[in-house]
Amino acid sequence: MTLRITLIAAALAFAVPAVAAPVVGKAAPDFSVTDANGKTQSLSAYKGKTVVLEWNNPECPFVGKHYGAKNMQEQQAAAASQGVVWLTVNSAATGKQGHLDGAGANAYLAKVGGKETAYLLDGDGKVGHAYDAKTTPHMYVIDKDGVLRYMGGIDSIASTDKEDIPKATQYVRQALAEIKDGKAVSVPTSEPYGCSVKYGS
Amino acid sequence: MTRNPRARSFAFATIAGLIGAIAAPLYAADDGDHVSVELISEHTALAPGQSQQLGILLRHEPHWHTYWINPGDSGLPTTLAWTLPPGVKAQEIAWPMPKRFDVGGLYNFGYDGEAVLPVAVSVPADAAPGSKAHIAVDAKWLVCREECIPGRKTMTLDLPVAPPTDPPKPDGRWTMQFSRARLAEPQATAWKATNAADGDRIVVTLRGPSLPAADGLDAFVAERKLVDNKPPRIKHEGDALIVDFAKSEYFGTPPESFDLVLTQPSAAGVRGWRVQVPFAAKAAP
Repeated sequence: MTLRITLIAAALAFAVPAVAAPVVGKAAPDFSVTDANGKTQSLSAYKGKTVVLEWNNPECPFVGKHYGAKNMQEQQAAAASQGVVWLTVNSAATGKQGHLDGAGANAYLAKVGGKETAYLLDGDGKVGHAYDAKTTPHMYVIDKDGVLRYMGGIDSIASTDKEDIPKATQYVRQALAEIKDGKAVSVPTSEPYGCSVKYGS
Repeated sequence: MTRNPRARSFAFATIAGLIGAIAAPLYAADDGDHVSVELISEHTALAPGQSQQLGILLRHEPHWHTYWINPGDSGLPTTLAWTLPPGVKAQEIAWPMPKRFDVGGLYNFGYDGEAVLPVAVSVPADAAPGSKAHIAVDAKWLVCREECIPGRKTMTLDLPVAPPTDPPKPDGRWTMQFSRARLAEPQATAWKATNAADGDRIVVTLRGPSLPAADGLDAFVAERKLVDNKPPRIKHEGDALIVDFAKSEYFGTPPESFDLVLTQPSAAGVRGWRVQVPFAAKAAP
């Protein structure tokens, strides 16, 4: 028993501290966080609806690629028209590039014409760490039963070039269409690409 | 120069570069943003039938970095698109050993300070001595501190084709850069590598001559979506060196083999090794 505890302790000491990443096919982590309008948002409140999570940093050039080309806003609007909830999450810590308060977030959304359901202020990184969000953008699709169905990149071409968007497979759009049709998601994970999420230390 | 038929393609490449710059306003206007980027040649001329070294010289401002072929958790590798005279061929970048950057618990792999991305070019045997070879490259990179800025630059070099009587000489301006580039290249090894993918771990076992001590050793996998980007656990076990990675959460179809690079700081600078690891789902020692 003592040996076992020692071994476990040794294993824990050896392991790099890590959060358990969410797994496609399993329940997505619930969260409770304030949005840009001061309203509390949780995943569980949207049970019965498909939810998209989008990690955002307004100053990241990869985010700029997809907002500049209107790719993100068009996907947000299309999702909304199908009753899909779209939550944009900003996990940049206070003092880090792209960190926003509620007023700043609303000004940003007005400027880019964001069509998301809500913009979540996750400056302490709790939601980001729960989802192991690494990049901006980093995308997650959760079905009406709260099961994670897709995680990864917004599309298939890792670049900052707007011209690549029409050539790329838009993974979130594809996953939403497949979920709507009751099909399996054909590409359930892809490696996300973008800027690192600017977590606090 | 104007009588040279390649002058036209040179002008065309430049205009294409300008159009590219206008069409892509996300890019830095030039390379003045945190990294200077230059196309250099080890020799002042090309020799017919030879392979020679060109390089992209990257000079980063302090705290800024660009990326390795596998950039890690975020970022983008530098890409090069060459426009070369007929018959001249450029190889892929011979990626120097990367450094690990810890960005708030996320990991990136790349280069800071001064680095050269070497590219071997082969010159056809029938290249006419006395003619000029016009070489153009469109480089794209992402330079990051915490924030990131994409950059793009089209660079050109006009190198004479040397006659057999007067073989190309090293260009004194870049001798040191190319010497350093050779030192920064991970050296090929005769190690025998086996790999076992066990649950959520990918464990590489290395055996062979002159394995480095585990102390200070780091390891990188060139292929993406294979291993997690956190530092692996590295230890000696008998005559073997064990490199134990967490599997990538984006792991999909495994490759037939992958390229492992090991680095270790020493008093004489960082040393690096490379070994190709066959991918096997089960251990095959």
